[in-house]
Formats: sequence, structure tokens, C-alpha cells
Amino acid sequence: MDLTFLITNAVIVACIYGLIAVAVSITWSSLGLINLGYGFVFSFAGYGAYLVSERISEHPVLVIAAAILSGALAGILICLVVFIPLHDKQNFTTRGMIATLAISLIGSQSLLMYFGPRAKALPELFGFWKVEIGGLVLTSDKIGIVVCSVIMLVGVVLWMRSSRRGLEIRAMMMNPHAASIVGIGIRSTGIYVMAMTGAMAGLAAALLSQTYYVSPFGGLTPLIKGVSIALCGGLGSVQGAVIAAIILGFTEAATSRFLGGQYVLITQFLVIISILIIRPRGISGLLDKAREQ
Amino acid sequence: MTEVLKVEGLSAGYGPLRVIHDLDLVIKPGERVGIVGLNGHGKTTLFYAIAGLTGWQRGSILLNGEQIGRTRSQGPGRYTHQIVRKGLAIIPQGDEIFNGLTVEEHLDSGAFTPEAWRTRKQRKEAVLDLFEPLRKLMKTPVGRLSGGERRMVSIGRGLMTDAKLYLADEPSLGLAPKIGIGVMEALLAIDLKESAMFIAEQNVSLLEGRVDRIIGMHAGKLKGEASSGFSFSS
Amino acid sequence: MSEANENKEYTWINPLGVWGAKGGNYEVTSNQVSDPSDVWRKNTGYKVPTAKVGRLKHYHIWDNHNEKLWKRLRWWPTRRHLLHVKGIYNRKTLNAEKKILDRRPIYWIICMVILFIGPLLFPSSMQSSLLTAGATFGIFAAINVCWTLIIGTASIFSLATYAVVGVAAFLTSWLSINFGLPWFSLPLIGAAIGFGMGGLIALPALRLDGFYYALLTLGLNELCRVYFTTSQEFGSASGGLYGADSYLSESWSPAVQSHASYYIALMILIGALVLFRFVNGKRLGRILRMAPEKREAFAEACGVDYKRARIQIFILTSAALGLIGGLYTAHFRGVAFSIFSFDTVLLGLAMLTIGGIGKAEGAILGTLVVVFLDRVMIEWGPMRHFLIGALMLASVLWLNNGYFGIKQQFNAWRDKKRGEWRSTRTEKGGEALPEEATEIDDKDDLYFRRYDKMQRDYLKTLITPEIIAEHMAKPLGQHSEALERVLLYFRRAKMEDKYALHRVGPDGPFKIIAFSGVRGVSPRVVEDKEYPTEEAGYHGVFMRRVHDLLES
Repeated sequence: MDLTFLITNAVIVACIYGLIAVAVSITWSSLGLINLGYGFVFSFAGYGAYLVSERISEHPVLVIAAAILSGALAGILICLVVFIPLHDKQNFTTRGMIATLAISLIGSQSLLMYFGPRAKALPELFGFWKVEIGGLVLTSDKIGIVVCSVIMLVGVVLWMRSSRRGLEIRAMMMNPHAASIVGIGIRSTGIYVMAMTGAMAGLAAALLSQTYYVSPFGGLTPLIKGVSIALCGGLGSVQGAVIAAIILGFTEAATSRFLGGQYVLITQFLVIISILIIRPRGISGLLDKAREQ
Repeated sequence: MTEVLKVEGLSAGYGPLRVIHDLDLVIKPGERVGIVGLNGHGKTTLFYAIAGLTGWQRGSILLNGEQIGRTRSQGPGRYTHQIVRKGLAIIPQGDEIFNGLTVEEHLDSGAFTPEAWRTRKQRKEAVLDLFEPLRKLMKTPVGRLSGGERRMVSIGRGLMTDAKLYLADEPSLGLAPKIGIGVMEALLAIDLKESAMFIAEQNVSLLEGRVDRIIGMHAGKLKGEASSGFSFSS
Repeated sequence: MSEANENKEYTWINPLGVWGAKGGNYEVTSNQVSDPSDVWRKNTGYKVPTAKVGRLKHYHIWDNHNEKLWKRLRWWPTRRHLLHVKGIYNRKTLNAEKKILDRRPIYWIICMVILFIGPLLFPSSMQSSLLTAGATFGIFAAINVCWTLIIGTASIFSLATYAVVGVAAFLTSWLSINFGLPWFSLPLIGAAIGFGMGGLIALPALRLDGFYYALLTLGLNELCRVYFTTSQEFGSASGGLYGADSYLSESWSPAVQSHASYYIALMILIGALVLFRFVNGKRLGRILRMAPEKREAFAEACGVDYKRARIQIFILTSAALGLIGGLYTAHFRGVAFSIFSFDTVLLGLAMLTIGGIGKAEGAILGTLVVVFLDRVMIEWGPMRHFLIGALMLASVLWLNNGYFGIKQQFNAWRDKKRGEWRSTRTEKGGEALPEEATEIDDKDDLYFRRYDKMQRDYLKTLITPEIIAEHMAKPLGQHSEALERVLLYFRRAKMEDKYALHRVGPDGPFKIIAFSGVRGVSPRVVEDKEYPTEEAGYHGVFMRRVHDLLES
């Protein structure tokens, strides 16, 4: 019983943070941008969903769609403000990172000014039902979170594998210069990538709002966890991010079960450091310096 | 009939360095033109200037009557994909290749116009007819291929769309002579129809007799064709 | 002279032929010589679009103290200069003059003087708030100067700076509250804590690079925040830990206290600057300047142990940060949790970015701007942080290296544009470009190059198949005017790369060689072609020269 409970918790945590980690990872490997603005994307998507649930309807599909759409919108915004002007300048990686941090500062402050400091709650998206499988009780939100994020992840991976845009994105990950020679525009691809990753962060925001509230600075913890997972899995690798998400989710669930909630970050951090010291580029990170021109 | 490529008064370079000096060039439909010259005399820069990849450039470049050259200096590669989409197929020098993609995906990535994307199956067949050895390598990542096979992939990628102008930058560079000749033969066997091909090469003997004309390039200017009105043959 | 450049054929008759010119032609078709002054007129004529060239003199040239250029102020008793001064003799008057090449020490002193007399300049209505902000500025500027050492000099992109300061501050205030430690012991304990933490954080830096490390340290910061805010001992209830011993006595009047805290904070800042100077400008800094980013492997191959130097700087600076943390406690009687918050890291990064990463002056200017907005403009509310974020974004988007990089960036941009314009505008045929001309000292050389270009332009018009045929017939002897002009020009060429004939056997054949132009360096063979007779060789040399002339 204990073990299964642990595993379900681990899977849920892994699902939510894995979404952000995969987003961070894809952005880094295709655009070379370390996007620390996902905190802002996260809160923005949360408020978008909140506005829809408040003004239009509390229908779960609508609310989730609103979160995804507003996340994509915030991603495009970051792309337009940061990526497009900066991508051919010198020191792009450092400046891009600082610029996304600035965006997250500005964005959180504007959200604070507009919505006020009080946290907002989203409606229950998945109802209140329970399923019992072999003595294991699964609540509706747990199943909903897992199903939604898995659908999203699988969708993104399939899209990257088979569609034309996905091919373009992957080509740009490998060799941006050759990509422009075969007619792939860095700017337009950048917008696709950021919209897609923003949508993933938006979905994560909607899912996480089932446990936490939506607040201007609420995106910080998910961002830091997502980034750490992406790091651990190796920037630029989707399967690495998924593996790392599962490992860290398990650590989190185990720690809070056996040691107590305040030690979660410490154990997670120790796990991350030990993984990174053994494999400095993450679990399945790119070994060559392909992205560090 | 409009010329495939019409270059007028093109100058290009990188920063304070000027590589191409006031160059004029016309390529007509169906022509195969070779350009020869030593290293550092501006062959690649000329190609880069056509593709918009130089540091700065000025002068007019008409691709099928459409202006693709302009005075610009914002840095290389800003408009390249748009120029490429107007009908330019670049077979770059060396291996500008996406190591992780398979040969098939690689060929797909060359089919960037909607029409080419729809008919990509037939096009891949056509390319494979030209490069038989690639047929059994379709699922292999490009990073594992040999130099000659990579060059074939690179050329095949250029053939996936209906380009108006094929720019082949030293297709035999770095290959064993025999393979180099094979690659060149395949390149010259392409049915051009209304388009044209422009090949840069250091080895004149590979081109002689196979292309419609050969232009020499020296110190950023074209030689050999230019009518200086005076020859030293005496 | 309208038809000057049209070569009219005519028959030239050798004037010496009457006396039976030996070796020369008697009668030959040649071309009419046009007036050479046409080229001169064309080149010297006034052309309307003239580009401005040269650069403004943007520095002051001082008189020298006396005739000796090398006389200048020095740090007694060493021979080191106070200022980087260059002595020059004025080119026209030959007076001794001097130019201050590096004026930054003067600006530093002016700024420090302004900071020191600052409290006298503050308006009395805002005196207390400005003094408090000034004290905060001093301490944060000191922290940022140390951070600059880590990010700029050691190029370790660590975001855990405030975590080190915060941990030192929290532990020292806890020790001071619980064990009653006096204030002067706090910086020392803080330094020890910082040293330990520096060593601990530096370990992953050996393995990880760049951004992995940045994100890791960001995580570490968050870890510290969560740990300290949730633990009971560190006052999770009160929002901070207060009540430590301070050097500011409670018995002093508030005005004295705020003045004292202002000046002490400035002293801390000066201490940090001294540390910066001695780390960045001495051995460690120079070692790392040999190993800039992306060229570490090369530096390592040259025997520079850059990793060791980086870690040394990191640990040293961490100890300094711990010391500042101890002083922080002693200054504010404690510390709040906000030092760990993500916003503090963001604001700190904004401070570095606005001024320019890697420069002490940048860190200080950025701190000044941000602290002013954050602490003085309190009535603006959340707008302040919005503004700081906008400043940070703007400086990152448009400036390569913050405010203090503007000059360099502008110069680089101007040079790039100038180079582009120069190379698109002028066709270069040996003549110096106007822009170059301002930088060449020997103006005679310019005039010579210009004249030479004009002469070549003119001679090119003379070269026709006729004169080549004429030269082939009789390379020596009297020639027609056109050929004679060309040959005179060829004979006047410099020794460097001048062509000559080399007799291979006793009776020929001949090969063309070129002189090196340097004594003792033997000539090189130009081509393998052999000429059977001397005449053929002369003509071969002539053809090469003609070719070179037409090429130039």
C-alpha cells in the first residue's frame, strides 16, 4: 500500500514537472535559449485559465484549452521579445537567459499589478470520483493529471517525429546554419518551438492548479523544479527529461513520506548534484558540444 | 525568356574585407556553368552572396527576374531561407548536414515547398534512381555515412525541390578522386529542364568538356569570359 | 582633348633612322599618344560627393612638465606610474606633450569623492531615507563587486552569491543572538563560513560547465531559502532573525547612526574594490585573461592552470562574501529571509547587467540605479520592479555589455560600418583610401601612391597590340613614343619583385626571375618557361610587366 501510494505520487509529480522539463529541454536544444521565463508563462497560463473559468465557463475542456492557449501566447511573446532580436547577437546564451529572467520579473510584476497579490483558485477540472484497482484508490484528479500530461507529451513527441514542422525543428537542433540553407527560417521555427513549449507549460499550470493556487509568483517553484529535471536529464533530450522526472518525482514522494515535506528540496538537490557529478551533461545529455557554438 | 540568374555590380565581403568586386554574371536557363579559381578568390563568397550569407553585400541579383540581392549588412543568414524558397538549391561546401537525422528525413527536409512536400515520395524515388547506393541506407543516421555518401545525401537534398538554380560548391572537395568523379557525374546527369546549374570547382579537369562554359575567378573578379578586348594569346 | 583615349594608329618613323639606328626599328605602326595630363585633370578635378574622413580628437593633450617625456608621477618608492601616460612630441612644433591614455583612475577618485561628500548634498527632507539607501547601496555594491569577480574574472556563472551572503549572515546572527558574540567577531566567523561554502559550491564547478552550473546554483539558492524559512531556529515566524550585536550603538542619536552606517558601508565597498583590484589586476586575473571562454583548451596547452585559478578566485571571493555577510549582520542587527528570495537574485543580476558584467564600475553603477529605484522611489509601488525589469531587458537586448560597454560597442559598430562603406565605395588600385590616409604618417608616400596610380591609369590606355608587336620585333633600341613611355615606367620599378633574366647555360636558355629586394636574399624563379634567346627573354619580361600593369 505504502509503495503503491508512493509510486502514484511520484508519477503525478513527474508528469507535471516533466512537462516543464521537456519544454525547457526542447527550447534549449532547438533554439539555444535557456528560457527561465517559464515561471511567467506558468502564471500567465494560470491566470488565463482563471479568467476563462470566471468570465465564460467552468467547463474543464475550455479551462484547459484556455491554459494551453495562453501558455502558447506567452511563449510567443517571449520569442518575439527575446529570441528574435537576440538570436544573432554575440553572447546570445547569457543574454538570452538574463533577458528571459527580466521577462519573468516584468511579467510577474504586471500580473501582480493587474490581479493583485491574492492567489486565485481554479475549479476542479476532473470532478470528484474514485477508481479502485486492485486495492489501490485513485482519485479523479490524479488520473486526470496523468492522462492529460501523457497525452500532451506523446502528442508533442509524435508531432516532432512525423510532421514537417517537427522535422524542421529537429533539423535546426542539429545544425542551424545548414537549416537556413535548406530553407528553414530560424525566426519562424523559433515561434513554433516557443508556442509549443509554452503550451506545455500552460497545461502544466492548469494541472498543478488542482493542488496549488494561481499566484503572480507561483511559477517560480515549478520553473526551478522543471529546470533541475531538464538539467538532470541532460538538456536537449526528451527521454532523459522523462527519466529524470521519474527519478526526482520518486525522490520527492519518498522524502515527504519518510522524512517530511521540508526536506524535499534538500534530498532532491543532493540527488541532482550526485547525478550531475557522475554525468556532467545529465542522464542522456548530448556528449558533443553541438549547441555551444 | 528571363535569365535564371543575373548579377549586376555585386560587391560582397565580411567586415572591412571586400572579397567580391563589382561582379557581373548572367546564367541562362538550361545552362551548366562551372566556376574555377584558387582558394580564397571568392568562389564560395559568390555563392554565399547569392544565398545572402555574406557579412555585407550590395548590387543587384535577379533570380528568375526576382530581386534577391539588396544592400544589406545586418549579418549573414537573415534572409537565406526566403531566398532559398524562391528557388535556390544549395549544395554546400563540406558537410553541412544534420548528423542525427536519417537519410530519409534528410531528403524530406529538402522538400520545403508545399508542393514538393506533397510529392516527396516520387521525388525521393527520383533521387534514389540517381544515387543507387543510398537506397539501402534510408534508415541510417547521416552521421554514420561515409564522405561520398554524405555528399550524395547533400546533393540529393538539393534535388528534392524544383529549384531554378542549383549552386554546387566544390562537390568533389575532400573526396577520393574516384568517388569525386562519381559524384560529379551524378550531378551533371541531372535533367535541368528550365533551371540552371552553377558549379564551383578547383579541379578544372573534372569540369572540362562537361559543362557549357567555364568561368575563371581571380581576386574577386571573373576572368576568362570577360571581354577585356585584349588577349595575350600572341 | 575629347578624343584623348582613342588610340589612333599611325606610322612612327624612327628619328634616329637617318643615322642608321643600330638594333632599333626604322618604321613601325604605333598608336598616337594621348595627353597624360588628362588623367591628372580627371583625378584632381573636384568631385562633388566628398566623404568626411579622419576622426575627432576626443582626448586632451597636456603640456609636459618639462622636456623629458619620461617624467611623470610615480608611486614612491617604486617606478610604477600613477596614471597611464604617453609622452609624445608634437609633430609640428616638436614640443613635448603628454596624453593620458587611461583616465579611469581620475574618474574613480571623482566618484568616490562625490560619494563621500554625498550626505552634504542630499536634500534635508530626504536625508534619512537617502542615507539608509546609501548604506544599502554600499553593502550591495560590495557584494556585486565580489560577484563580478566570480562571473567576470573567474567566468563561473554562479547565481548563489546571495545564498553565501545569506547563510553567513543567518549563521552569524544566530550565533550572536544565542551566544552573545560581539560584533567584531561576526565578520571573521562569516568569512570562515563563506570559505567553507565556497569550497562546497566550487566542487561541482570543476565538473559542470556554464549554464548547468548557473541553474544548479539557482537551485541551491532556492534550497537555502526553503531551508531557512521553514526551520524553527532561524525564526520562521518573524520573517527574519534580528537582535544581533552591532557596531552602531543604540545610544547614538539617529542622525549619527545613519551617517555612521553610510560611511561604514562605503568603507566596505572600498574594501571590496581593493579586493577586486588585487584579484583581477594581479596574477590570478592575468592568468584568467589568458584563458578566456572557449579558448581554455589552448590556454591549458600553454601551461595555464585556469581551473585552479578559477577555483582559487571563487573560494577567495566566497570568503569575502561571507565576511560581507557577517558585516551585514553587524550592520542591520540581523537579516531577513528576503536575501534568499528569487527577486533578490533577479535584482542582483539586474544590477550587474545594467552596468555591464565583468566590470567593477558596471556593478557599482547598476547597484546605484537599482537601489535608487528600489529603496528611494518607494511610492511607485510594484512599478519600481517593473521599471528595473524593463531596464534590465533593454540593456540586455541592445547593449552587448551594459552601460560601460556602450563606448566599445559603438566604436566596434562604427568601425564595422566604416569598413563596409570604405570597401564598397572605393576601388583600390594602390592608391591610399582617404580613411587610411589620415593614419599614414609619411604623406609623401600618399602622394607617390596617388601619382603612381594616375600614371598607371594613363599607361594602361597606351598598351595595344601594336606596341606589343613593336616590342616583340625589337626589344632594344629606340621605340615609338607610346612604347617608350611604357618602358620608362617599367624600368623605374622598385627592386622588390623586379623581374630579371637568368642565363641558365653559357648561351641560354633564359629564365625569368624576380629580385627579392632584400640584400642577401636570393631572387626567386618566376616561371619554368625557358626562352631560347635573350630577345625572347626581354619580351617575356615585358609581357609579364604588361600583365602586372593591367592587373593592378
